[in-house]
Amino acid sequence: MGDLGLVALQARYSLVALFRTPRAVIFGVVFPPLLVVIFNSIFAKSGSGPQVTHFDGTTLDNQSYFTAGIMAYAITLSSFSTLAIALTTQRESGQLKRYRGTPVPAWTFIAALVVRSIALTCLTVAATYAAGAAYGASISGEGVVGLVVYAVLGTATMCALGIGLTAVTPTAEAASAIAPFSAVLLSFISGVFVPIDQIGSTLADVGRVFPLAHLAEGLQQSFAANGSTGLDAGNVAALAGWMLVAVVVATRRFRWEPQASRG
Amino acid sequence: MAGDAIEVKDLRKSYGSNEAVRGISFEVATGEVFGFLGPNGAGKTTTIEILEGYRQRTGGEVCVLGADPGKPTRAWRERIGLVLQECELDPTLTVHEIVRLFASFYPHPRPIDATIELVGLVAKAGSRAGSLSGGQRRRLDVAVGIIGDPELVFLDEPTTGFDPSARRDAWNMIEGLKELGKTIFLTTHYMDEAEHLADRVAILRHGEMVALGTMSELGAGSGSKTVIRFRMPDGTGPAEIERLLGAKLSVSGDIATVEVDQPQRPLHRLTGWAEERGFVLEGLEAVHPRLEDIFLELTGDGAGDG
Repeated sequence: MGDLGLVALQARYSLVALFRTPRAVIFGVVFPPLLVVIFNSIFAKSGSGPQVTHFDGTTLDNQSYFTAGIMAYAITLSSFSTLAIALTTQRESGQLKRYRGTPVPAWTFIAALVVRSIALTCLTVAATYAAGAAYGASISGEGVVGLVVYAVLGTATMCALGIGLTAVTPTAEAASAIAPFSAVLLSFISGVFVPIDQIGSTLADVGRVFPLAHLAEGLQQSFAANGSTGLDAGNVAALAGWMLVAVVVATRRFRWEPQASRG
Repeated sequence: MAGDAIEVKDLRKSYGSNEAVRGISFEVATGEVFGFLGPNGAGKTTTIEILEGYRQRTGGEVCVLGADPGKPTRAWRERIGLVLQECELDPTLTVHEIVRLFASFYPHPRPIDATIELVGLVAKAGSRAGSLSGGQRRRLDVAVGIIGDPELVFLDEPTTGFDPSARRDAWNMIEGLKELGKTIFLTTHYMDEAEHLADRVAILRHGEMVALGTMSELGAGSGSKTVIRFRMPDGTGPAEIERLLGAKLSVSGDIATVEVDQPQRPLHRLTGWAEERGFVLEGLEAVHPRLEDIFLELTGDGAGDG
């Protein structure tokens, strides 16, 4: 079997393993569309007339705004969090070390987990979009191009960051706390849970240091796009920059053996 | 030697100023079961991880299956099997799935079902790894360790945490591997395990080799001297018994010990004398020294447990 065949096989097994873990499925696939339902239910009743958010010189109806933002959050969960937690767990339990002792090139094992995260991300993006569409969120044909570009770039960036994060998570518990918690925290200042025109420019600027804000804004621009793809050089560059940083950290600091039990 | 599976010459490994392994040398012949013993912190794990290709050595020469494990290649890894000390497999996959996944990593794997049978997990083939008992999980480790049909298998404390009957099963399994012609490098905390399974053993202490050889070369088991032991009766002294047996008696507490080549005559004299004098020799026994005795003598200070 070639190495790519091995990646596919391992990815299949790790997907099987993932779908036998109800917590992972609930967090990865069910939670984001549920958030879309809750946000749209709350804000649909909160006033008269169409609610809109102003950002980046444009306006977008709130159904689409929240759908796009939560889609960014969903990508963060299924790529960044899932990968950081899985890799740290498998490193600390000795699985990574064990795989490294087989003839299979070690990178195939990480590649398989990345493929798994991509599959999970596709699922959660589709589910989030479906939930948003049920509340009237809509996207133009050109916008879909932008959405696909941001989803792919965002997934790549968040996967790289997830691998990079394992350099600083000594235990599975640490990874399970740090990864989702930082995603939630950033969501409040990145135009995901609260419209960006309501949080003040200082907090918004802090949020824009991190990649989630750029992924959310990119997806929101895609939903707002009318006659163009909504692609924005600044957001694309920010995501690519974070990916580069993460790749450098991951290639230099990635560890295969348990850290907590070293004696 | 050309036929050796493992050759180690003056192996050294330092972590900073701490010398974990201080120049050890040994060979493991093809088809041999080699027991590698020592108290915690003696350098066992460091050595085995160097041989497995996980760790780089600081000095010396190491050759495993004709190659330098410091530069592990894919072809080399296909020929060795690992059962690591602390290793968990994916708890959500079943025994059969895990064995099949690992089988796909090797060019000529052993048959999956037969391997599951060899380790005694047929009844658990459809169960998830996370639901197995400690002993069953260890057997699964062994199954994935040998699924690639390796020539050389590293077993790092394969029975730690087993109950006595599970340990017996594991021993039978390891004997089965030996019958398949595998070379086995075994580390263990249990001296009876080494005694039972190993053709030769090495004992490590503070990173140095303190013993190397077969059981009888080390003075343990059948083929070695016999130790006669009993509680010293009141009303006599060591001198009288030494005269009687013509051998040196060592007394520790009230337990007297004497080493003899052949126990029949000394036992006859000893019991005849005791009957005559009306003494009762409590706890009288004639035994071969156990590997455990040799081990404790060589490694001292009871550092071997835990």
